[in-house]
Formats: sequence, C-alpha cells, structure tokens
Amino acid sequence: MTLWLTFRLALSRIAAAKVRSGLTMLGIIIGVGAVVALTAVGQGAQQGIDESLASLGANQITVSATTTTGLDENDAAAIAEIEGVLQVSTQVNSSGTASYGSESVTVGISGVSPEYDSLANPTISLGTFLPSSPGLQNTRTIVVSAVGADELGFTVDSIGDQIRLDGVAFTVVGLLDDADGFGSGANVFITQEAARSLFSKSPYLSRISIQAVSQEAVSPVEYRVEQFLRYSKGVTKDEDATYTIFNQAALQDTIQTVTGTLAILITGIAGISLVVGGVGIMNIMLVSVRERTREIGVRRAIGARRSEILTQFLIEAVVLSLLGGLIGLVIGQLASYGFSILGGWDFFIDPTTVFVALGFSALVGIVFGVWPARTASQLQPVEALRFE
Amino acid sequence: MSDLVVDLANVRREYQTGDIPTVALADVTLQISRGEFVAIVGPSGSGKSTLMNLIGCLDRPSSGSVRIAGNDISSLDDNELTALRSKAIGFVFQQFQLLPLSSALENVATPLLYQGLRPKEANRRAAAMLSRLGLGDRLDFDRGRLSGGQQQRVAISRALVTNPDLVLADEPTGALDSTSGAAVLEVLKEMNSEGRTIVLITHDLEVAAAANRRIYIRDGLIERDEANAIAGAR
Repeated sequence: MTLWLTFRLALSRIAAAKVRSGLTMLGIIIGVGAVVALTAVGQGAQQGIDESLASLGANQITVSATTTTGLDENDAAAIAEIEGVLQVSTQVNSSGTASYGSESVTVGISGVSPEYDSLANPTISLGTFLPSSPGLQNTRTIVVSAVGADELGFTVDSIGDQIRLDGVAFTVVGLLDDADGFGSGANVFITQEAARSLFSKSPYLSRISIQAVSQEAVSPVEYRVEQFLRYSKGVTKDEDATYTIFNQAALQDTIQTVTGTLAILITGIAGISLVVGGVGIMNIMLVSVRERTREIGVRRAIGARRSEILTQFLIEAVVLSLLGGLIGLVIGQLASYGFSILGGWDFFIDPTTVFVALGFSALVGIVFGVWPARTASQLQPVEALRFE
Repeated sequence: MSDLVVDLANVRREYQTGDIPTVALADVTLQISRGEFVAIVGPSGSGKSTLMNLIGCLDRPSSGSVRIAGNDISSLDDNELTALRSKAIGFVFQQFQLLPLSSALENVATPLLYQGLRPKEANRRAAAMLSRLGLGDRLDFDRGRLSGGQQQRVAISRALVTNPDLVLADEPTGALDSTSGAAVLEVLKEMNSEGRTIVLITHDLEVAAAANRRIYIRDGLIERDEANAIAGAR
C-alpha cells in the first residue's frame, strides 16, 4: 500500500464525515488562525513603530529642558564639539494664537535652528520647509502642521498667504505631513531667530537635538553629553538635573522588549491551543479506531501488516491536523488582511508564518495521532474480527 | 507433501479466562489437500471458529503443529504470518465485511495493494476478477449500492484475486436469503471445479452438503470426517 493511496484514503474518510472532521479540526483551526492573525498584528504594529522612529531621523539623541532655564545656547555649542556628534539643532518652544482669515487657533510654536531640516527630516506635504541659508533666518516665514492647517481652514492655495502669530504676520511656505510622528496637535514652525526676536528673547533653549555619526556612536555620545551636562551644570543628584536625555535607541530597545514579551505571549497561546486541538484529534481518533475495529480486523486478515494499519491511522490524524492548520492559516491571513487595512500597515504573507503554522499542525497530528494509531495496530486480528 | 494445503497434527488451543483455562480445541489432526472442497461443520461453541482462525493464520496453537501451505505457523512472527495470510489465504466472511467508503473495485484491489502491487496493475486484476463473477458493471459501486448477494460476490472476488492456496469461507451464506445463498454456494463450487481449495465453515448441514467432504466438530474434537463417494478424497 503506497503512502499516496493511504493519504487518499484518509482524505476520503475525512470528506465522508465532514461535520465530525470539521469539529475535530476546530481546535487547530482556531489556534492556528488566532496565532497567525496575532503575529501579523504584532508585525504590523512593529512596522508602524519602526517607521515612526525612522521618520524622527536616524541616530538621534534629544536633550529637553525641564526648567525654563535648563539649557542654553552655550550648551548646544559645546555639545556640537563632543566627539561622535555629527550635527546639532536647537529649538525654542512656546505657544500663541494663530489667525488666518476669520479663524483663530491656539498653536504650539517651535522656533528651530537651520540644522533642524536636515537633522529631524520633517515630511513636507506642500511647499517647502523653512529656509536654511544663514542669511534668511530673520525672515518671517512659517510652516504649519496638518492639524494646524485644518483648524485654520487652509486650502491648497494657502501657500504664500499670510497668517498672524500673536499679531505678527508670517508668510506660509509649507505644510507638514503629520502622519509620521510630528505631533498630532496644531503646531507651527518658524525660524529660531524669528522666535527669539518675538517670543523668547532669552538665550535659553527648549530642546537640543543631537545626531550621532553612526548607530554605534549613539550610546557613547549619550554618555558624553550626559557627563558634560552634569559637569557644566554641577548636577550631583539625578533629581537636580534641569534636563532629560532621550535616546531613540533606548526607546527602540524598550519597544523590542515589549514586542518580545508579546511574542512569548502569542507563542504561549499557540502552544495551549495546539495542545487542546491535538487532544481533540486524539479523542476522535480513539473513537474512530474503536468504531472501525472490524475494518481493522478485515484489513489485517486480507494482508495489512501492523505497520500499515499504524501508518493509515497516523496519516489520517496528520491530514486532519494539517488540514485544520491550512484552514486556520487562510482564516488568519484573511483576518491579518482586514487588520492591515484598519491599522494602515502593509499586508504581506510571511513565509515563516506559513511554514511554522503548517509544521506545527503536522507535528500535533503526529504527536497526538501516535497513541490511537498504535492502539489500532496492536489489535489482534481475531479479536478485531469478532468485535461487535 | 506439497499437495497438503492444511496439515494439522495434535493441535490444542486453550484460552485463559481468568484463572480457568478454556479448551477450545482439544486434539485435532486434520489434513486438507489441494483442490478439495471441505466443510467444517459444528454448532456454536464446538471449536470450529478456533479451527478457522488457526487455518486462516490469524491465531497460533497452544500445542501441536499447524502447517499451512508448507509453513509451520508457530515459528512465524506477526509480519511473516501476515505475509502468509496475504499469499496463501482468501477470506470470505459471514457479514461480507466490505471496506467502508470503498468501491467494489477498490475492495478487490486492496489485498493486491497490500502485497505491494502497483495500483494500476491491482485495479486491472481486480476488474478482471469482478467481471468473472458477473460484477463487471458494478466496479464503482460501494457497499451501500450492492445487494447482499452482490456484496458477497465482491467479497469472494477479493478472496480469489490474490490466487490463494486456500479460500476460507466463514458462514458465507449466513447473512443471505436462500436464493442468494444458493448462488454463492454455486460460485464456490464453480471455483472448486477450477481447482481451487475451499474450506467452508458452517453450522448449517444443508450448506455443508455443497462440499465434497464434511468434517464434523464438537467439543473441540473431530467427531466425524466424511467424504462424498464421487469426490473420493482420502
């Protein structure tokens, strides 16, 4: 008896008892389906986070002032000289009222240094970012975030129009695309010089953004910046610090830890559901062996060896389990597709997921099919033929 | 000796039921030659089923020797016993015992597939055998669409398709009406007339009359062994 024939026999038996086979496979279907869908959601979320972080600019460290006088221009100038630092941009933040036509909106105002454009890499949806040449830093130009543009009632023709920021006129040069993490509020960006002349005449800074020369340099640079700031500001205790240092890589590490925990959780759910599904298969296979005792006796009488009976029942269990895994995989992928539309991430079929889902389904079939199959193969032909 | 298909010498078979041994066969010596049509006759509990199991290589004796087609079955392991069954014995059961979810053709091809034949060749031989027994137009029918008589003819085809040394028929007419039963006996007679060895196990004297030789068994012993005058066996 060839394996192919045995396989076909198993398929026809499964097809002959559709409801029973379906119910038997349900555990595996739900288990595999849930895990495939959850994994896709996890990967999608990861992808979204990665993209958000990437859009913040590569290899970045941010130092934010925690008091109004926490950081100043001298700090920025000194940090720019630290080994491993590629470039530094600074910004001063405040808030004010922006007016355009009849609309008046409270906005966050960031006055950014010329390096901001290349360092933070903001995504412009319309127009340009602020001018970066040194001679144009005192111009009254403004870039508005998408939310801000929406609240102010901008149209596509609003580029080049003037808006008033606390009564001072600015020319709109560009609109930001907020989708990639540039704050969800109504924000405007103006040059730091303009901000200094209008809102904050002090030399203090709200934030210093540092770009390290490479990914490997991020941690050493962070360390040096911290040492420098502690020394220059005479900080001895953490709670005395007038600034916080935020390392993007550290955030990524944290996210990876969370993702890792999530993966363990998913694996746990997968394990439990596959075991439950496997027990279901074992149960029905044991029932099947009992119901088909006479058939086993006849097959033994007409020349089936023990090993052939074993193979027949084992293959039946594996086919049941594998079919369940396949259905679960399809359902899981359909669900992932749905989630990808809802979550706005890319849908893709991960070959690893397919391989692992089917591999584990087959394994479950083997592990939980062995005992029933062995029971069947150990039946004495005489007893089996006499079985009522 | 090659002419002896069945050669039993002082065969004893007992079963252990708890602590009490039950003697199913006490002391049976029996020889069946190639080409015979023998009926083993006895009431239930006589030991005829045990005898059938031994002749069919489904069981081993407690003592004595059982030689089937020249092989001493006491010395064979399970796989060798299976191989011997596959080669030497064709079974016909009372309840037909056609395999579920399988067509007539698949049923008859199955013993050949277990012998390791290619499906194509197995199907060709199975179809030829079914046609010989008048079921050439029923190849694709499963057991639900065949009458009792047809099912038993499929079962006989299945028993004959491997060209065994011996066809062992256990109450082959037991589940059939008298007309179908008579037809099945005719088929067996015809097969015997072509030179096949047939052993019929029955409690029914009328059925046993179809055979050329009748072995009466009671309480685990052969009570009487009679042959038709014309057949002249033994």
